[in-house]
Amino acid sequence: MKNKIKTGVYFCEHLNGHPDSLSMDELVSFARDLPEVAMVWEPAGMNVADPGLLAEQIKGNDLTRIVLAGNRPGYIQPAFTRAMTLAGKDPSEVVIASFHEYNATTRKDTDTAKAILACAVLDVPFELAALPSEEKVHPDTLVIGGGIAGIQASLEIANSGQKVYLLERTGTIGGHMAMFDKTFPTLDCAACILTPKMVEVGQHPNIELMTYCEVKSVSGEPGNFKVKILKKARRVNLATCIGCGMCAEKCPGKAKSEFDNGTSMRTAIYIPFPQAVPNKYLIDAESCTYVLKGKCGVCVKICPVKDCINLDEKDAEVEINVGNIIVATGFKTFDPSRAEQFGYGKLPNVVTSLEFERLVNAAGPTGGLIRYRGQDKKGNWIFSPDNDEPHSIALIHCIGSRDENYNKYCSRVCCMYSLKLAHLIKEKIPDAEVCEYYIDMRAFGKGYEEFYERIKEEGVKIIRGKTASVKESNGQLLVRSEDIHQGRIIEKKVDMVVLAVGLEPREDAGEVARMLGLERESDGWFTEANYLADPTSTFAGGIGIAGLCQGPKDIPDTVAQASAAASRVLQSIIRGKVKNSIKNIPLDTILKNARQFSPVKTEE
Amino acid sequence: MSSRVDPNFKYTLKGFGKGDWNECYHCGNCTATCPLSEDGFLFPRKGVRAIQMGLKDKLAGYLDPWLCYYCGECSKTCPRDANPGELMMTLRRYLTSVYDWTGFSGRLYKSMKAHIAVVIFLFLSVITVFLILADFSIPLGTTEEGEKIVQLNAFAPHEFISTIDHILLGILSFFLLTNILNMFIKVVIKDKSIRVPIYMYFIQMWEGIFHFATQARFSKCEGKRTYWFIHWFCMSSYVIMFAMIIFFLAWFQTDNVYPITHPQRWLGYYVTIGLIFGSVYFLIGRFRKNREMFKFSHHSDWIFLILLFLLAFTGILIHIFRVSGLPLATYIAYMVHLAVEVPMVVTFVAFSKWSHLAYRPMGIFFANCKKAVLRKQYKMQVSPAF
Repeated sequence: MKNKIKTGVYFCEHLNGHPDSLSMDELVSFARDLPEVAMVWEPAGMNVADPGLLAEQIKGNDLTRIVLAGNRPGYIQPAFTRAMTLAGKDPSEVVIASFHEYNATTRKDTDTAKAILACAVLDVPFELAALPSEEKVHPDTLVIGGGIAGIQASLEIANSGQKVYLLERTGTIGGHMAMFDKTFPTLDCAACILTPKMVEVGQHPNIELMTYCEVKSVSGEPGNFKVKILKKARRVNLATCIGCGMCAEKCPGKAKSEFDNGTSMRTAIYIPFPQAVPNKYLIDAESCTYVLKGKCGVCVKICPVKDCINLDEKDAEVEINVGNIIVATGFKTFDPSRAEQFGYGKLPNVVTSLEFERLVNAAGPTGGLIRYRGQDKKGNWIFSPDNDEPHSIALIHCIGSRDENYNKYCSRVCCMYSLKLAHLIKEKIPDAEVCEYYIDMRAFGKGYEEFYERIKEEGVKIIRGKTASVKESNGQLLVRSEDIHQGRIIEKKVDMVVLAVGLEPREDAGEVARMLGLERESDGWFTEANYLADPTSTFAGGIGIAGLCQGPKDIPDTVAQASAAASRVLQSIIRGKVKNSIKNIPLDTILKNARQFSPVKTEE
Repeated sequence: MSSRVDPNFKYTLKGFGKGDWNECYHCGNCTATCPLSEDGFLFPRKGVRAIQMGLKDKLAGYLDPWLCYYCGECSKTCPRDANPGELMMTLRRYLTSVYDWTGFSGRLYKSMKAHIAVVIFLFLSVITVFLILADFSIPLGTTEEGEKIVQLNAFAPHEFISTIDHILLGILSFFLLTNILNMFIKVVIKDKSIRVPIYMYFIQMWEGIFHFATQARFSKCEGKRTYWFIHWFCMSSYVIMFAMIIFFLAWFQTDNVYPITHPQRWLGYYVTIGLIFGSVYFLIGRFRKNREMFKFSHHSDWIFLILLFLLAFTGILIHIFRVSGLPLATYIAYMVHLAVEVPMVVTFVAFSKWSHLAYRPMGIFFANCKKAVLRKQYKMQVSPAF
């Protein structure tokens, strides 16, 4: 038994900055009240770590152990290790209590923070003291989001013989990946990889596909969730629609196609894209003449199947019972009209990368031909094969990413997809002049750097320097940037500008997080239980996350994470139990456990 | 050319404004955004690079800061919030201290206490001199027409004041001119890459003069025309006032109250309005931080603007008291007016913010000379400064 252990607690940050942050006063008084603690430094911030001064304080109080508490206490650890050496104590007795590690960041997590602190003081691993209770698990699983992550996770679970509900908001599964033409770095066709999986999902006996649905509320506890699902009125009978398309030919309602990112027009009764799963039509209430004006019904008259279209169908609600939930809600792209200097929204030939992705796609609005954006008869700006071909295209990286004015983080995929788009332009218009403007080229994955080298050899001009502005000049676009390697300013006239927009959490990510009890990072992505060791679980028990909703990543990483999330679910189904959230464990229980295991005893 | 690297350069820079530029990741946005930046004189990014690398000697020869007018467009769009506009401002302060061979400038910039102490010392000295030498009891005099007037010239004879002015002018001109010579050596002579032939200085001279009078380059900054006008108005007011005090004091400081149509009064009003309007506009802007260039204020900015305001304000008081025939109030206002003026010119004209009145046109002049040589030698696509 260790004797005469005197612990000092140092708080690394003022956490009181925000009314919703951890309560510093409570934490300090809690630390003072712990009998094992001999001294508590007043929270002084990170800048006071002078080893000499600390050594005197350590000596003066005869401390043998130091606990550094805070969000990132690792930063300050070296100063204390040095101070302990100077004071003639054991420098290995400097331990850290990181609140951030267990995502104890808001005021309601103050108890968790206290428990983390107490465990560090008592020299007990937090995981050992904070054992979450285990609940019985319902074998069914709900996957929210039908993109590549949701598809992959559903298939993994369903192929193991377990039932999966796959929920999708739009009329088809496939998500963003279905919009892409090619994937980097192999230049495989995205649809060739995705559509077989989509079909498999559609036909799988263990997967109940719920398209055009939204989660309305989630109740219950880990292992036994009751999920209310809003079935939006599709107005077309999924069971009887044969997908002939006769209705769409005559439909008078027009709207911008969501699937083509607003770059083409579709009818009110529509199928998102030809390979959609389920391959059935649906009616968009916002553009349907019957819904808007109360009379039309052309589709009903023309439909060869009896009673297939019901224009008066109302939204319905169903409730399902599931044990685990995987959240794979994905992302949205940055809206570049927020950055006015690039002229998006004002200059028709400044397009986003996702729009351009549809433009080069063989199944896109122009059949894969690269064309200017033009106006149709009604004045909508769309891509059409009748327009002219641009001969010089500039691709601008980091729009809305790595920018303090918008999003601080790197969106990870933009460099690579821009290189891919440059390749596709060169492939379709070999004599086109293609320029890429970048800050840093982040070719981070297997085969990516080689891909970058290959694109350079193809004659794409790659210029280091963020573009400052895009302006109109004699019908062309003037792109102004510094060429850092050459030490000059370049003003280049191009026909078309592609903005490599970054990735952002969806607008309703906050709502989803509240409904499911998930945490979010400051930039809006869902927080995983442990970034390194447990990237698919969350602090809410029984709920996993996969894909972009956790943070920007490319397709291989998304697929890998989806499979990993599925394996966590399968693990709990096979064991029949699911772990509850560690945030639900009472502080007293953790303290009791910690005291039981602790090698640190108070002097009595 | 070899260059000395000073790894602690950012600490040297600290007193002159924002000192640490490690946020910058060199995307080149600022240089490309700047409407004034051009080939051969790329800024502000190059300056950040030089600071990060600690290229002290190279920075001493930079002209770029004098070509920048701080419109703030670069700071607004900087993806790292590194405030490159403020970098140029900091470098202008730093370069002022580099050109100053006495080292007085660096002291004033680095320490607010030192600057305030010098200002207060000079203020009190002037007051003391007045209290000892001047006669505050001189009553109202009578003109030939029999009007009662304040005898300001009896209180402070303009010949005497003018002599003091000229001595002060001589001393400050000596410092300013030697500093400009120092700038010339650092910027042109030491730059071995470009040799400027002597005839070039004569060819380019008119541009320097034209710029000094109009600040036309300033109006090239996007959306800053109002700001340019106020800056120009304030500057021209000061220059006119300066000329009147140094060369035409006898005409300006008279005991006659001229009629309202007289050009002397017009000039006086122009100067006063320019100084009051300019100093109040800049003070309010700096206080509210409503523009990019007002976001960071160095103590020299505050002291300068406050003194400028007091100068104009006491000038108005002298005028009002004199016209309304209050001798003692006029004398006191006059004493305070001079007590503000002396520290203002002593600390600012050659050693601090006001010296940009000389350095900026000189900087543009030198830059244009260099650009002309570059155009000739390398056929580079560089345009003149305006």
